[in-house]
Amino acid sequence: MVLLSRVADRIYWAARYIERAEDAARVLRSFGDVLADIPTHGIARWNSLVAVAGSETVLEPEDGSDERPVVHFLIADPDHSNSILNTVESCRENLRTCREVLPREAWQTVNDLSIYVRSTAATSIGRRAREAFLMRVVNDSRRLDGVLTVAMTRDAAYEMWRLGRYIERGDMTTRVLGVRAATLLQLPPGGHDEFAEVRWMSVLRSLSALQMYQRASPGPIDGPDVVRFLLFDHQFPRSVAGCLAEIRSSVLRLPANETVLHMLERADRELKSCRPAADDGHELDDAMDRVQLSLAGLHDALAARYLRF
Amino acid sequence: MVTVAGVDELLDETGQPRPIARDLMSRLDTLGLDELRERQRATDLEILTMGITFTVYSDGENIDRAWPFDIVPRLIAGAEWEQVDRGLKQRLRALNMFIDDLYNDRRIIADGVFPADLLDDSANYRPECEGISPKFGVWAHISGSDLVRAGDGEFYVLEDNLRVPSGVSYVIENRGVAKRTFPELFEREFVRPVDGYTDELNKMLASLAPEGRSNPRIAVLTPGIFNSAYFEHSFLAQRMGAALVEGADLMVGDDDNVYMKTIHGPERVDVIYRRIDDLFIDPDVFREDSTLGVHGLMRAWKAGNVAIANAPGAGVADDKCVYAWVPDMVRYYLGEEPQIKNVPTYRCMYDDERTYVLDHLHELVMKPANESGGYGIVIGDRASEEALAEVRRAIEHDPRNWVAQPILELSTAPTLVEDGLEPRHLDLRPFVLTGAESYVTPGGLTRVALQKGSLIVNSSQGGGSKDTWIVDAPFEADADDGVPTESQSQSQSQSQSQSGAG
Repeated sequence: MVLLSRVADRIYWAARYIERAEDAARVLRSFGDVLADIPTHGIARWNSLVAVAGSETVLEPEDGSDERPVVHFLIADPDHSNSILNTVESCRENLRTCREVLPREAWQTVNDLSIYVRSTAATSIGRRAREAFLMRVVNDSRRLDGVLTVAMTRDAAYEMWRLGRYIERGDMTTRVLGVRAATLLQLPPGGHDEFAEVRWMSVLRSLSALQMYQRASPGPIDGPDVVRFLLFDHQFPRSVAGCLAEIRSSVLRLPANETVLHMLERADRELKSCRPAADDGHELDDAMDRVQLSLAGLHDALAARYLRF
Repeated sequence: MVTVAGVDELLDETGQPRPIARDLMSRLDTLGLDELRERQRATDLEILTMGITFTVYSDGENIDRAWPFDIVPRLIAGAEWEQVDRGLKQRLRALNMFIDDLYNDRRIIADGVFPADLLDDSANYRPECEGISPKFGVWAHISGSDLVRAGDGEFYVLEDNLRVPSGVSYVIENRGVAKRTFPELFEREFVRPVDGYTDELNKMLASLAPEGRSNPRIAVLTPGIFNSAYFEHSFLAQRMGAALVEGADLMVGDDDNVYMKTIHGPERVDVIYRRIDDLFIDPDVFREDSTLGVHGLMRAWKAGNVAIANAPGAGVADDKCVYAWVPDMVRYYLGEEPQIKNVPTYRCMYDDERTYVLDHLHELVMKPANESGGYGIVIGDRASEEALAEVRRAIEHDPRNWVAQPILELSTAPTLVEDGLEPRHLDLRPFVLTGAESYVTPGGLTRVALQKGSLIVNSSQGGGSKDTWIVDAPFEADADDGVPTESQSQSQSQSQSQSGAG
């Protein structure tokens, strides 16, 4: 089946936006969760979430340390392009222009979610209301994947969806590592932070990785080990290596893919070079920046080859 | 001022259900108003969730609106529908012969049946199309004719839409929704299915492909997401497995073939179902400022390398002025009597007819010849004196652009509104496909004026819609009055009475 370049572009971006919304929802949930375990609110640094969302510059600094303004910014701010309100809407607007290539239930799922988000985002800032809202975003995003997985032909359009998903997902994993894990690693060793384990659990939860990490590494949670798991465990679908492997399998099914494969190999190399950084917070932050750049390069190659004509 | 109530589709003069509607009305009665309201709410929600929408231009920010749907269906007896079906196929055959004739031999003008000067300032005549004869001699492959049932109980064609008629997707969606709203009724009634349309459309479009192109590739050309009918463009592409393309997705090569820009490189397109106005399809030939079209598309079409449906220039025959000649066309080209009626139409270009119109503005509907969507229409008995003065000036200034018709008493059907079930005016837009053969949708899009007494049914102006059921057989056996079908009893009893439309 032929695929218009413009339609490929819309599907790819729809996938990135819904993944972005889901990731933001998951990070917000896990952060709220860890706060419940830590008695002093003062040490909660809500503004680090803004950094994870990649939007540091947009929020006024005096608002950045309070819960409500940060949560509002990430969930419901109409002027913040990466608020859940806007990413869900962007996903819907992109899918609206390629309904003819997707299973009908896919459109209905995102349309339904968009109606829900528009009507409830502004009132989902408080902790109780927020939980139901964030769960709904995560669940509907997965439902959308489910519909496509069981009902969509494995053609180029499907690969575009997967590419958008995994590039965004890999990017999010590097940002969680670069901001939150790097901060944790910088704490002086020797148990000064009695909540370190709780915080590492939160990092894992924000990527839906806690259970799978514990299966892979039984015993107490070890920071550098968590980092290595999230970067290199090929078998875990949210690890950066796992995302790159999924991207490779999609690219291999697309026509004339040389330039894209070339950039993919560069991203692989960049990731491998991060191995020593797993133990060092300062190093990790920089290493994640480099991986993010290589993912951006991969995106550019994809866009030049398939999304623009 | 409200006109005297005309015919009701479901109820007779005494307010009793007509034979075809007995089952439905008794069911609605049993359910009761609260249950009906509940089902209407559930249906509205379903339409919202499914994203069945239409787009309004002038609405500021909220451009994408849920499709308005009234759950009470509009029923038409199968036997009566056969007549409409035949009449529309005949009408479209004649209209297509007319268009083909105009752009080629102009026999109808030479024979004195159609006045040549009417073409001189027709806004929809395209001299660029002269000398072209598309496959099967067909120009208007997809048309939507607006019908009304007037006070005499007969269907009349109000206008023919031969350019880019829209609404057929809602016919199909309405049925899907109706089946879930009243599943119990579909078990008992024999309602003709409407789902077959997209298959018929697909077959017809494929038949237009240039010779030697097996498995022709079909593309639906849309102006894009801001068009009021974008939902439909997407729906039709999806149902046909066709590509939905915007102008920028296509290009014409040096070989005069049309190509889509795909991730595999350029892929040839054989048939374009265009849903943009023909003035915008090719900036090389028509409007230079068009960003919606494709450079060189007309060149490719003239070379016979791509079929375009509807053909550029087809709109010349849906001019509201040309409309007045359709019965003559049927007689001239087919040697038959028209099987579906035209509304008597006064042409302001003629002095005597214009004088009559200007003397009877209060009794007539004045229509600008080249507007669509109900814009610019002035209804004499309810317009303000200022509006009438304005239309008088407009007619005197540009008589060629105006026609006038008697005010028809549009039929009504019970519709669920604030105060319960009340009669509301409606029309009907069946869709006709014309290729080597013809096809008419069973029923069509019933649009309903939700405002009490209003005759404006356009969704862009607050109209709603109903599912349209062409019902066959079993109600006849139940009919205790011994009348075989609804349509016959009605035409017998009412053919005597004269109305303004007669």
